Amino acid sequence: MNRFRKMRWPLFLTVLVALLFGTSGCGGVQASSWTGMTLIDEKLYVADLQTIQILDVSDGTAVHAIPENSKDSFLGYFYVAPAVGDGYLIGAAQAPPRGFLAQAKNIVVKLDVETGAALWTFDEAKSPYIEGGVIGVTTDGGKELFVIGNGNGTVYALDVSKGDVVWTFEAGHRVWATPLIVDDVVYIGTMDRNLYALHLANGEEIWRFSAEGAFACTPALQNGVLYIGAFDNRVYAVDAAGGTELWRFPKNGNGESWFWGRPAVEDSNVYVVDVKGNVYALDGDSGEEIWHSSLGVPVRAGAVLSEDASTLLISSRDGTLFALDTADGTRKWVAEGDGEGYISPIVDGDTVYEARIRGTYRVRALELLEGGDGYKELWVFPVETE
Amino acid sequence: MFDFIAYPLANLTVLLYSWLGNSTIAAIAVLTLLINLAMLPLTLSQQQSARKMQDMQPELEKLKKKYGNDRERMAQEQMKLYREKGINPMGGCLPLLIQMPIWFGLLAAIRFCIPSTPLDLFRFSPHIYNWLPGVIGLVPLQSTFLGMDLGQPPNVAQWWSYALPLLVGGTSYLQQKILSPSSSTASTAADDQSQAALMNRQMQIMMPLMFMMFTLNYAVGLSIYFIISNLIRIVQYYIINLVRKNGEQKQTSGKR
Repeated sequence: MNRFRKMRWPLFLTVLVALLFGTSGCGGVQASSWTGMTLIDEKLYVADLQTIQILDVSDGTAVHAIPENSKDSFLGYFYVAPAVGDGYLIGAAQAPPRGFLAQAKNIVVKLDVETGAALWTFDEAKSPYIEGGVIGVTTDGGKELFVIGNGNGTVYALDVSKGDVVWTFEAGHRVWATPLIVDDVVYIGTMDRNLYALHLANGEEIWRFSAEGAFACTPALQNGVLYIGAFDNRVYAVDAAGGTELWRFPKNGNGESWFWGRPAVEDSNVYVVDVKGNVYALDGDSGEEIWHSSLGVPVRAGAVLSEDASTLLISSRDGTLFALDTADGTRKWVAEGDGEGYISPIVDGDTVYEARIRGTYRVRALELLEGGDGYKELWVFPVETE
Repeated sequence: MFDFIAYPLANLTVLLYSWLGNSTIAAIAVLTLLINLAMLPLTLSQQQSARKMQDMQPELEKLKKKYGNDRERMAQEQMKLYREKGINPMGGCLPLLIQMPIWFGLLAAIRFCIPSTPLDLFRFSPHIYNWLPGVIGLVPLQSTFLGMDLGQPPNVAQWWSYALPLLVGGTSYLQQKILSPSSSTASTAADDQSQAALMNRQMQIMMPLMFMMFTLNYAVGLSIYFIISNLIRIVQYYIINLVRKNGEQKQTSGKR
């Protein structure tokens, strides 16, 4: 009993110190989001949590990683797909809190591709970046801007050369979608249920289109029409010039589930997938359903088309890649995989690259074939740590 | 792990949100209240068990004095005493154990509805009950309250958000203090020195500190849930006590 009484304060302090350390972020950050990738000039730039890996697409080997010594880097974890420019890339990272009461930092960073040196950083946003930003050039003055949305509800436009904030736009809720920049206009969907068109030069609102659910994907643009899915279980076609609704799918009522992934558009057809794995081919002019098919697994990412537009490729959460015939939605083949797939595959010629989290590999490359199994695995890029 | 509880609770939160003028705070408050009401029988049984244990403390002390050196005999006598008094020694723990999955489910439900990262939201998305009136399109719920992001931890830019972990610690302490058996009635000197009493006093400090530290690094929405939950439990305790005392008074006056 006396021994217990003597021990109680040391015991108390030990537990308290353990608690302080345990709650001060020393444990690091788990994969709380998906990782993105960008394909430019035969190189795949992959946000690999610890670093951005630059892979040679011919064999999947890492050319190099930036920053090279990720453990000492102040930048933390890279999730979103980097935007790649001439000799540089701009990524978004989340630095875990270091020390008691420290905050996680959400950092946009411009990195030199060769040296990995940070050219500038921007860390004012208090929420994580969920999807990557894009680089746009204003036609009047040729100013290069990096535009990215943040979970704090702000769209930031940063000067690519210096990292200064050129303008911000406040939405009413989180911004989790990558913007689309076309002809000096930024189109961005936000969780406040609006799709906005903003002037690239100054961020002023041109128009907004309101739905009954959040927007969390990038719209697809074809022939002056924006196609976008929403969390009200609908897909919308919106006039890019004026922001008026051209059609909605379904015409009446709501669909079965959220449309989170970006639509794939080809000729006059629009292909969309909902989070329950229902795939729809819609007439781009009228929004009428052409066919629909069910994958039976949850799907976050949008479908992408093969180069000849004959095959629709869909990456599912359970790690399977589905190939559907665009003519009628029948399954051509299924490639079982490892880990979880949350982002759309990238198609380049006959090769498709798919990214994974929580698996043994980060990226897998498949060659699309005419006959046989329909595909052949070319290489995988393994995961070091997660 | 607790998704089978979290999904219905998250849907109930969304439904309450639609009924309560799209107020996330009101939805969390009402949900916490409803869950506390649903678990009232368990809470009552837990409090009754704690009271019985507390009432028999003098007898347990006597046993300790008598058989303190003979652990086996002490345990036998204790069990005998429990049987005589009709007390299940696990009576205080079992209701807690049953409630645990519900509380974990509730925490997950809050994360689903006001997520700061997409994986939680995606996990929930196929499980939204579209047949509930008015829920389509509401998720994710509005996540701003008094300028704070409910899905983010307290931060320096919104310095007032640090008041919430302090309130969590304060209300947890108050709750522990009120509900703790040794502090609710005068303790005997022997009781004061017992190991259980010491542990109890340390827990009264440790638990609130632990909750405070926890909420410093987690979403503000969770802090609000903890504060509301603590306040509801305190009020609930006073109401239960009031009802019990009224019942006892009626019994006493009836006997006269």
